[in-house]
Amino acid sequence: MAESYGWAGKILRVNLTTGEITTQDDAKYHKYIGGMGMAYRIMYEEAPMDLDPYDEKALVIFGVGPLTGAGVPCSGRMNVTFRSTWSKGNSIVDAHMGGHIGSMLKYAGYDGIVVSGISEKPVYLRIEDGEVSLEDASEIWGKGTFAANKWMVEQNGREFETASIGPAGENLVDYSTLNTSFGNSGGAGLGAAMGNKKLKGLAIRGTGSVKVADPKKVLELSNYMMGNLIGGNNNHNVPAQPQSWAEYSATSGKNRWSGAPGRMWKKAPGGPVDTGEQPYNDINKVALRCFKGYFDFGAPAAEYTVKNGGCSSCPIRCYTEYDVDPLADYDLPTHNSNTCMPVLYGTRVYPDGVHDFKYEGDGTMVINLAWSHAVDDMGLWDNYGNLNRDLQWILRMPREEATKYISEAEYDSLPWKWEKAGDPRWEVELIRRMAYGEGDLSVIAKGTLAMMEKFNLPKSWLDRTDGATNSNLVYNGFPNHHGPAEAWQVGMLYNLVYNRDCMIHEIVCETGSGAPYEVTKKVMEDFFGEGCYDKAKAYTPINENKAKLAAYCVNDKNFHDSATLCNWMWPMTQSPSKERNYHGDLDLQADFMTAVTGETYTQAGLQEDGARITQMLRVMTAISFQQNCGSANLRQEHDAICDWVFDKEPDFKAFEEGTTKLDRADMEKAKDLFYDVFGWDRTTGVPTRETLEKYDLADMADDLEKRGIYAQNTAAAE
Amino acid sequence: MAKTDFLTADMTRRQFMKISGKSLAGLTLSASMLSLFGCSQQQVDSGAVATWALPQGLLVVNADLCTGCQRCEINCTLTNDGVCSSYISRVKIQRRLNLDGAGNGLLSGTDNCWVYFPDTCRQCEDPACGNACPQKAITTDSRGIRVVDTDKCIGCGACHDACPWHMPTVNPETGKSSKCIACGACVAGCPSGALSIVDWDSVTSAAQAAYLDL
Repeated sequence: MAESYGWAGKILRVNLTTGEITTQDDAKYHKYIGGMGMAYRIMYEEAPMDLDPYDEKALVIFGVGPLTGAGVPCSGRMNVTFRSTWSKGNSIVDAHMGGHIGSMLKYAGYDGIVVSGISEKPVYLRIEDGEVSLEDASEIWGKGTFAANKWMVEQNGREFETASIGPAGENLVDYSTLNTSFGNSGGAGLGAAMGNKKLKGLAIRGTGSVKVADPKKVLELSNYMMGNLIGGNNNHNVPAQPQSWAEYSATSGKNRWSGAPGRMWKKAPGGPVDTGEQPYNDINKVALRCFKGYFDFGAPAAEYTVKNGGCSSCPIRCYTEYDVDPLADYDLPTHNSNTCMPVLYGTRVYPDGVHDFKYEGDGTMVINLAWSHAVDDMGLWDNYGNLNRDLQWILRMPREEATKYISEAEYDSLPWKWEKAGDPRWEVELIRRMAYGEGDLSVIAKGTLAMMEKFNLPKSWLDRTDGATNSNLVYNGFPNHHGPAEAWQVGMLYNLVYNRDCMIHEIVCETGSGAPYEVTKKVMEDFFGEGCYDKAKAYTPINENKAKLAAYCVNDKNFHDSATLCNWMWPMTQSPSKERNYHGDLDLQADFMTAVTGETYTQAGLQEDGARITQMLRVMTAISFQQNCGSANLRQEHDAICDWVFDKEPDFKAFEEGTTKLDRADMEKAKDLFYDVFGWDRTTGVPTRETLEKYDLADMADDLEKRGIYAQNTAAAE
Repeated sequence: MAKTDFLTADMTRRQFMKISGKSLAGLTLSASMLSLFGCSQQQVDSGAVATWALPQGLLVVNADLCTGCQRCEINCTLTNDGVCSSYISRVKIQRRLNLDGAGNGLLSGTDNCWVYFPDTCRQCEDPACGNACPQKAITTDSRGIRVVDTDKCIGCGACHDACPWHMPTVNPETGKSSKCIACGACVAGCPSGALSIVDWDSVTSAAQAAYLDL
């Protein structure tokens, strides 16, 4: 195997049917970077979209990249590629997880694990450097992820990093995850994809290293990043509260750089830790900047916070680690940790509201942390809040209405007294039923589309303007993720590309940064051209720079999930430094690629690499839509936008100040421009032969030709 | 050790050596000492603070501030090995993150546990690693640091086995033992300030001031 820097140089191949485990030199995949890109090429070549997602030959591909485990800040990510069972088209989809397991996989000597086949009995994959084996998992099959992870560490040793699926995955519940016990998870149905293979989890120990071409440069760039460029979580570049060194603080008083003098981790064993001031150039205080709990819940969070946590290599600690002691009164675990979705929407299943537990205003937080632990233990995914929204939709109905959808017996079997009392056991019981597929209600965890089919809800159900129970931007079964409400047409466009929520944070990191609009606008326009950056609720019609920016975001995100870098933090667009006029350094990720791999990368080149992945995604999406929806016209079948996006807030017209609604004709023009940037046919949204050849994907063009998809383009145009 | 003994003016690096790597629980520190160490007496009492006597100063580890990011391991290995690794790092946090066998780490109790913190070489006065080395490859340099002579080291692992904390680690890729040489890279790059080094002059002055106040 050729010595290479950055990449470990080989991938593992595990066939669960035969038990065969082999390794493969992966140099031929390096042009796809790694992670997502490498997995897409492998999936295309070996497990075509014609396969059923649960076919024995279907693949689950764990992928890390050249930067994972190489010391680059915010690189502790692992991408997992498989087939969606719940979104329209059953196409290719990714789970993205943080924690410590991705870098451990690299230290063990692998850039990825390609899992095929179906095991006869439950197993877990044990990797200890070159020693790889499938081990009996019958002891933990049926157990929650916390118990399963603990068991795997106890069986194998303290230096193993583990991740496990829960009952949801075992029971092939479509909304399911793979979890670590710190709360890191990969969703999108990964639990079921593994459960179908009877693969309970991973236990990995690596005693090796990631070879780095220029270690001094990696250290130098890391210090440059941490002392000049990095902000708080989501790279918010000004502190939420005024700090003596800072020219600005968040205009709203709130962002994810939420650590501040007087904001304490009050349950630290040795007494309160004051997160204090964190000057932008003080490397040794970066980890105190993000106080995600305070951002999410305000002052009550401080009462329960022990410390911050997060992923390997990342100085921004976006997980808050809590001891929520009131939960002990309900015999529920109290030491919970998470960031984002699992801690945000638990209260939505309490139509009668929640109450305070121990401190004024702590009700939402306590309920949400109970939700977080329960979904993580069951390995249940929330589909970026659709699980909660769809549950809320039905749970807030009067009994006579709700029982049109679920049986009276089931309705009456729900422990409503706990709901009315704001008791956390209510949500835990709902989650248990979802994870075990119990009752009619549990169809909600099979996906919004499955629920609509079972409940005979028309397509127009997705056009409703009730944002609390409907944030689906498209008709494909997944919701808005940082879409037009935060990023005008740009956010709408990049929500069209994937087969799950987009997971793109390039714009929301800027709009949510807290810096004054004019400051951020200057940065964005200097980088991406005039007119690309609209003001909140004061949108302007589409233009070419906006379409280019949307395409940039897609390609950049795809690079991040391939390298791997955290898309919540990267790229370094803004900076907290006044001396830099708040400009970040978009070239830094390419500079890290060069320093780590020893090959020369540029930001423009990384855009091309990201775009190659975008093209592969689009090709596979077209093929699966032809297979499963009868048409590969992605403009019609995949990229159609729900009515509410244009019809909400009827008192406003699009582009008036005060609204984030979009305009239909303008969005169709936006699609034209967006497709042009990518080289997609305007009528069908499918990559043209010329485009695919430009990205060295001629075989995919041949495939589209053979499948009659190009003929369909021509027919549609006529 | 009695509290007053610890605070005498002739407190030296030698005295700190005796408690290297141990928590300071049971000691009462003066306000100036607490300020130097960047901790509170409550943190000392709870066992969150431990110190390591190094030639250039006192390494202070505050477990309450450690957020488990592994940047100490990253900075250690990039600096000393030219690669990035966890296992061979001379400062170790990963092995405590999940279960350290001493009641710390995420999975150590019946519920998650948020106590984890880095550990490193004590630079023992009577080093078990050096005593066990059949090649006499672990020697003391001019700063008093125990260092591995890689020309002599045969990678047998006797040092790893002999150390009560298993700090020296044989690098499986080079076949040579690695142990802390007190370079300070871990401290310089710790993003939460969980690791810090206080120079000896400051430690001694603070101790003397406390003694005069008694």
